[in-house]
Amino acid sequence: MAKLAIFFALTLSFLPFLSHSFSPDTPTDRRILVLLDDFSLKSSHSIFFTSLKSRGFDLDFKLADDPKLALQRYGQYLYDGLVLFAPSVERFGGALDVAAVLDFVDSGHDLIVAADTTASDLIKSVATECGVDFDEEPSAMVIDHQNYAVSDVDGDHTLIAADELINSDVILGKTKIEAPVLFKGIAHSLNAANTLALKVLSASPSTYSAHPTAKLSSPPSLTGSAISLVSVVQARNNARIMISGSLDLFSNRYMKSSVQKAGSHSKYEKSGNEQFVIELSKWLFHERGHLKAGNLRHVKVGETNEPAMYRIKDDLEFYVDIYEWSGNSWEPYVADDVQVQFYMMSPYVLKTLSTDKKGLYHTSFKVPDVYGVFQFKVEYQKLGYTSLSLSKQIPVRPFRHNEYERFITTAFPYYGASFTTMAGFFIFSVVYLYNK
Amino acid sequence: MARSLSGFLAPIVAVALICCSFAAAASIFQPISESHRSAAIETFARSYGSLEETYEALQTFDVLGVERKPDVGTAACQSVSQTLASSSSTLKDIFYALKVNGVLKCEVDTDSVEGIVSTLQTAVGSASSLLEFYHSIGGLVLVKNQALKDDLYLADAEGVFRSIKALSQSDGRWRYSSSNPESSTYAAGSALEALAGVISLSSSEIDQSLIGTTKNDILKLFERVEKYDDGAVYFDGEESDAHGNQGPITSTWSVVTGITSFAAVTSGNLNLPGEKILGLAKFFLGVGIPGDAKDFFNQVDSLACLENNRVAIPLILSLPATVNSLTRKDTLKVKVSTVLGSDAPPLKIKLVRAKDTPAIESQELKFDSANKVHVLDTLEKSVDVGNYIFVFEIVFNDPEHKKAYAVESKTEVPIFLTGAVKVGNAKIAVLDSDLGSIETQNLDFAGENLVSLGANHLQKLKLRFQLTTPLGHPFKPHQAILKLTHESKVDHVFVVGNTGKQFEIVLDFLGLVDKFYYLSGKYEIQLTVGDAVMENSFFRVIGHLDLDLPEAPEKAPRPPVQPADAYSRYGPKAEIAHIFRAPEKRPPQELSLAFLGLTVLPLLGFIIGLLRLGVNLKNFPSAAAPAAFAALFHVGIGSVLLLYVFFWLKLDLFTTLKILGFLGVFLLFVGHRTLSHLASTSSKVKSA
Repeated sequence: MAKLAIFFALTLSFLPFLSHSFSPDTPTDRRILVLLDDFSLKSSHSIFFTSLKSRGFDLDFKLADDPKLALQRYGQYLYDGLVLFAPSVERFGGALDVAAVLDFVDSGHDLIVAADTTASDLIKSVATECGVDFDEEPSAMVIDHQNYAVSDVDGDHTLIAADELINSDVILGKTKIEAPVLFKGIAHSLNAANTLALKVLSASPSTYSAHPTAKLSSPPSLTGSAISLVSVVQARNNARIMISGSLDLFSNRYMKSSVQKAGSHSKYEKSGNEQFVIELSKWLFHERGHLKAGNLRHVKVGETNEPAMYRIKDDLEFYVDIYEWSGNSWEPYVADDVQVQFYMMSPYVLKTLSTDKKGLYHTSFKVPDVYGVFQFKVEYQKLGYTSLSLSKQIPVRPFRHNEYERFITTAFPYYGASFTTMAGFFIFSVVYLYNK
Repeated sequence: MARSLSGFLAPIVAVALICCSFAAAASIFQPISESHRSAAIETFARSYGSLEETYEALQTFDVLGVERKPDVGTAACQSVSQTLASSSSTLKDIFYALKVNGVLKCEVDTDSVEGIVSTLQTAVGSASSLLEFYHSIGGLVLVKNQALKDDLYLADAEGVFRSIKALSQSDGRWRYSSSNPESSTYAAGSALEALAGVISLSSSEIDQSLIGTTKNDILKLFERVEKYDDGAVYFDGEESDAHGNQGPITSTWSVVTGITSFAAVTSGNLNLPGEKILGLAKFFLGVGIPGDAKDFFNQVDSLACLENNRVAIPLILSLPATVNSLTRKDTLKVKVSTVLGSDAPPLKIKLVRAKDTPAIESQELKFDSANKVHVLDTLEKSVDVGNYIFVFEIVFNDPEHKKAYAVESKTEVPIFLTGAVKVGNAKIAVLDSDLGSIETQNLDFAGENLVSLGANHLQKLKLRFQLTTPLGHPFKPHQAILKLTHESKVDHVFVVGNTGKQFEIVLDFLGLVDKFYYLSGKYEIQLTVGDAVMENSFFRVIGHLDLDLPEAPEKAPRPPVQPADAYSRYGPKAEIAHIFRAPEKRPPQELSLAFLGLTVLPLLGFIIGLLRLGVNLKNFPSAAAPAAFAALFHVGIGSVLLLYVFFWLKLDLFTTLKILGFLGVFLLFVGHRTLSHLASTSSKVKSA
């Protein structure tokens, strides 16, 4: 009996968690597991964590080698997001390993990986699985003798003032990041075949990845613009991953520090790190750029009900609703590049939809003069947004026999000939029979 | 096993992590500065919940000398007098109320003080756990120090001392209570502070042997200390215990407050090595600016304790700038101060030597009394650009100070001396295989002019340039990279090697065709020369090279795929409009109508012909029945023909055939009657 009561109490205490979990209706993450090498990071990176907490996230800090680590229990994920701020961990504790992290992402959850010069093979392999290759050279750092941050105490030009940001409002927010972002860490490159990964913060052409004090004898494996400093991946299931070569990027020290780029006279009181990291985390945890489409419908012009079939050359109107998640509610999504395809093996019609700015997208077109089973397809992919893929099947039939044109002027001479012959026959029959 | 392994790994991981985050700063620690003060205002800007938080905020502001908002004081004082007057306040509340009072100097009425003192006295008597001792004794000490009550003494001081001491462990750590076997470093700090309180409250001398064993405990505690490579030491936090998660900062703070207050009340030396004290100071300074209010308070409070302790006051040697420009004629400045940034006693700083650089000899730095910094101003004459490790030594003017202060015997500081490097004698040439130069072009890295070269696979490209430092020595930069980028974005990177004074690279295209994937065409030549101490590091496109390589053989490696542009991958596709089948070409309507007219002509001709022949209908039957059948027969034929017209106009095939069936039967019948009648009449005429 007591056991039953405990079980009941446990179930009750889990209910709020279950109701808070990731769902298609509220895509923003709620519970985030933060894995650290050292609890001192909680304090040295507190601005980032405080920002997350103030936005309603539930952070669970654990050491990366905590023997009780687990991402799921009884087949249910305990977290919606994972932050790996443990660059040097060689082996996760508990039931966590690379495969578990990837399963977590494969089931649509989000991931932040931050590395630095101590990055272990484990962290590098997590990144590799996400399509991002860290420099294999141990202790190599990103060095840039042109675009470093001017500093009185840091002379080896490994503190990069990076300002080559991706041009995307949805990823980095509408406010432009004016001040350069301070970066100190290791380089990575994106696999050329990977179309899902994007460089958010890229290096300048004069950058290279090498050990700052050892002599450079062979060409560095990564140079110039091939180096990415911070990348994001949006998987096909809309799971989002951020990979940063620098853990310090998130630290209070870099967020607070003033920055002056070498060779530039403008000095900024505060680096762009705070804005960069916070805006990027908003995107990452689905507070922005998450689209929902539905209510895909079509009617024949002049009618109100959706037909089961169209005839070739019919005029039709097409509607679809698209909304964007703003962090706490669904707002109408406004864009001028949503397109619909009328598709059978290949698109027969591809048209850009116009919007009423209240979430409703609309267009009208004439059904092609080819019959068969068509689909209305909305496949929307935009930089930084989750992709939309909707389709609805609709058959198209040819004209019925009585729907063709009946009185063709060109044929009138033939008709004229027939009918005059008939009239002649009638007269002839009378005359032939009764003439005397 | 896993637990012990993780317990073993955790400090290593932590050390590795922190070492790296400090690697750049090497062993330079900056004392508390202005940025700390502004950060303190930001961190403690929120309203404070408990008295403990209030105390932490006030104490931090007090130590840093930040002016606090006046309204905080009045609100806090109110809360203090409430807590002290209330009989239901816990020991912890009273303890922190007294601490806040210590900072704010509120007005507390004597009645409540009497009550508090008696509460605390009873609490000390009945205390069983360490925290009860800590809070009650701490409270009494605070009452005494704030002179709220005179002649305050602890009745059985030695007994209390012994009962606290009973909680100590052989490894220097302490337990929270006798029933709890778990011990911690944090508890050790609290215990030491409580013991210090007992000593100061005792009316008679405490047994020296007890104090002696406690001093031994402290030494044992320091055997547990963790050490970073840069000399910082700390006490590792307990991963988790009954009293929550205590990180290294909190544990170390507890120990520092404990030993400093213990040292303050006991006579004689604690025998703690100065470098450990300095290491603790380094640890707290190395933390930087913590974001957490608790950590911030622990850091500042510990540094304040270290600033005025009786063991050894740590002095920090710091450099406002370790990157000094020779072109700007920067002077090397060295500052020595206490951890909180106050002035050090009079002393001299010596530059002993520079590691691996015998050219720099030992010299003493000049003291600039106006700015309170020690200056080395003979740099640019004797020292070339480069990165050095300078070794400084602190020598006290007064030898007595050597005991009171903890300093590092030799401080190693990495120094970057930057300067402009002269680039000269830059030439680029395409050579034939027999080394006969075809075209040599001078390069001007400052100008904008680009060279344009052409070469085939039998030729070589040669690039050479010289780098000299301001003092005329050859300079070897860290980064000297030549990059050839094909039109298709395939690039090849080469390190330009140096032979003594000259930098030279020869690209023999014959050996490189495979590496170049047999890609002929235009290559862009980029040269990057850079170094940490080179102020004029440059990245330049030198020009273009038109390379003519042979056709790729079958098995040649394919060039790697280049990443597609992220922006072009997205965006709207070109619209597709369906092209409808064009309607068949038709003659103009007029032509059709004209031909329609023409088709009527034969009928007209036929009718006119009949009229001209003079046809008649005399043969039409005259009898009623045959006449009726004949009329019906022709009406029937007319209906069939009319049916055809309707078929054209609106009827479909099925309706037409149906009607035609009925009409056919009818026509057969009336036709037969009419024709047989006509036949019989004509046979009658013939026979007649």
